[in-house]
Amino acid sequence: MAKEMVLSGCAASAQAAKMAKVEVICSYPIRPYTALMMELAKMVANGELDAEFIYGEGEHAQLSVVLGASAAGARVLTGSSGVGVTYAFETYSPIAGGRVPVQMMIADRALDPPGDFGSEHTDAMSCRDQGWLMGWAENPQEAFDNCLINYRVGEDHRVLLPQFVCQDGYFVSHIPGKVLLPDQSQVDEFLPPYTLPHPLDPKHPVSHGPQIRPDQGTIMDLQRAQAHLDAPAVIKEAIADFNRIFGRDYSPFVEEYMTDDAEMAFFIMGAHTMTARHAIKHLRSQGVKIGLVKLRFVRPWPTQEVAEALSKFKAVGVVETSTSYGGAMRGGNLLHEVRASLYDLPKRPLTTSFMAGLGGEMVPLKEFYYMADILSEMIKDGKAKKTVYWVGFEAEA
Amino acid sequence: MASKVKQITVWARGVVQDKEGRDIANGLANAAKKEGKFTQAFDNYVDLPDRVNVPLRKYARISDEEIEERYEYENEKPEVVIVADATLVKGINVLRGMEKGGVLVVNTDRKPEDILKFIPNRDLLKAIVCVDAKGICGEATVDFSGSEGGVDAVGLGAGMAAPILGALVRGTNLVKLENLAAVVKNKEALYKGHEQAVVKTL
Amino acid sequence: MFIIPKEKEVPLGCITPAPVTEQTMMITGNWREYRPVIDQEKCNLCMNCIVYCPDACWQLNEAEDEVVWNAKYCKGCLICVNECTTEALSKAYELDFEDGVVRLEKPF
Repeated sequence: MAKEMVLSGCAASAQAAKMAKVEVICSYPIRPYTALMMELAKMVANGELDAEFIYGEGEHAQLSVVLGASAAGARVLTGSSGVGVTYAFETYSPIAGGRVPVQMMIADRALDPPGDFGSEHTDAMSCRDQGWLMGWAENPQEAFDNCLINYRVGEDHRVLLPQFVCQDGYFVSHIPGKVLLPDQSQVDEFLPPYTLPHPLDPKHPVSHGPQIRPDQGTIMDLQRAQAHLDAPAVIKEAIADFNRIFGRDYSPFVEEYMTDDAEMAFFIMGAHTMTARHAIKHLRSQGVKIGLVKLRFVRPWPTQEVAEALSKFKAVGVVETSTSYGGAMRGGNLLHEVRASLYDLPKRPLTTSFMAGLGGEMVPLKEFYYMADILSEMIKDGKAKKTVYWVGFEAEA
Repeated sequence: MASKVKQITVWARGVVQDKEGRDIANGLANAAKKEGKFTQAFDNYVDLPDRVNVPLRKYARISDEEIEERYEYENEKPEVVIVADATLVKGINVLRGMEKGGVLVVNTDRKPEDILKFIPNRDLLKAIVCVDAKGICGEATVDFSGSEGGVDAVGLGAGMAAPILGALVRGTNLVKLENLAAVVKNKEALYKGHEQAVVKTL
Repeated sequence: MFIIPKEKEVPLGCITPAPVTEQTMMITGNWREYRPVIDQEKCNLCMNCIVYCPDACWQLNEAEDEVVWNAKYCKGCLICVNECTTEALSKAYELDFEDGVVRLEKPF
């Protein structure tokens, strides 16, 4: 029987990795993801988990270790945060291009300078175009579930892609929440043992990662692009099975809250979705017709689902928790993709974005009320004044 | 590529002839420029220039009109092929892409017949020119500053490239000898190569 | 769906069968200007050539009790000539031999 526990996001991820029977783990400490490795190290030391636990000498080494182990046929886990994530950047493209499905848990953290250790999506978002699957968890339960879902999708032979399984640093990684731990038999039913089509095996020698000529490069890019085209169908299958086996009601790509008659909506991912839900509940009681759309996968980006979900609103406010300095929207990364998803619609909602929760700042209810006011004003004016609002710092209140 | 563009391919050996090979292509292009032609000279990037003795290519292009292809980085149909080390003829189909009526220039102390026996597609050639460049000016100038796009400080045609360019004029009418003399450093070697070259018309 | 021309195909993730006896995708015999020539009378099978060759181009033929040279991959570095203990190996110019032709279409 499933049992209910109260766990931090890091501890929940560790429990998920244990139930996924991860075989090789490589660690290097950095806040706020460190507790994942502390938990796993204890499990290995206590004999609860039969895995190789390797100490990397840095994040580049961590990723290199799990690349080798995964290529040899082991289910692997590594993780990092902030500048640790970016220090390993070189390894992300070859891991995805070599089609080795390693999993990396990122408890996100603002990048330097200077040494800010608060949550911000920028570290992981900077790595989003390397061919990895990527998505954020809202709470420890999703951190647990996403670990299993991503192993299942990434290791599927129709996909074979590595996965960034992200959670907001501190907010999700440190604040404990309710987690339903399933039975091992449920996990075993959902997640088949890991196999690779061409593992490193002395009996059948193969070469991984050879030098290629420039004219072979396009083909390898094309293979990775194709894998991302094929992944959505596999994600849908996996979510359907997950819901059936574990009794959940996840949507594969976007989840909606109070959107039935809504005129406006927040578009958001990760921890602050929870606060946004409460803000919407209060705004609804005052007669404001507002809802939200939560994004579950940043890669592959669910273009169709985003367009369908957002097309019914008059105004959409994208809550950005990452930076894209000098970008087309002058704010974060998400509005670029949201607007691109909406472009081909005959009738598009008005859109803008809100820079909130950067550097680990809280996003309290009143900030969502401020955002809702801007959206109301946009509907009244019939246009968006600008593409980005830095919440709490705008000269015009 | 427009048919009016004359393509010249130089085969040389990695590191030890990297500069000499490049000097041949650059010398040819610079001399043609003096004659009012549009020219290009560049290395093949896909070959492995930093491994000793590996076969690699340098290219020159000469045209009466502006050359539109700058980033198509292989000469698909060379009409003149220069082999800076004769043993390459056993290792590579040096005439690949050549149409009938081309010219082959080889740096060797052997006779044209000794080289031709290693060229199975020799019927493509209208002439072969052999020159003992090493005998004229000794070993190749080994200098790395021009590799990988750096600026070559040694100067053009101080070594084996000069006599090879001189020999080239005997078998082709791509450029005039005096214009080569205006761009190469070792003019004496250029003239010696021109005089001592052995031409065999086929 | 995409169409990839046959000559441009690359295996998934560029994972290729590893060479077991020889790497046919990287033939290096055309790097050679000079080759080692063996005088079997002088060879005492010390096997220095086998040990020192960076490309495993010397192998022992146990049936004939002699070392055998591989023309397809020998780069002509002549380390074996240098390391030969009995002067059984000597250097010879490649154009003096009819054999040892590799003649690839492209260098790499």
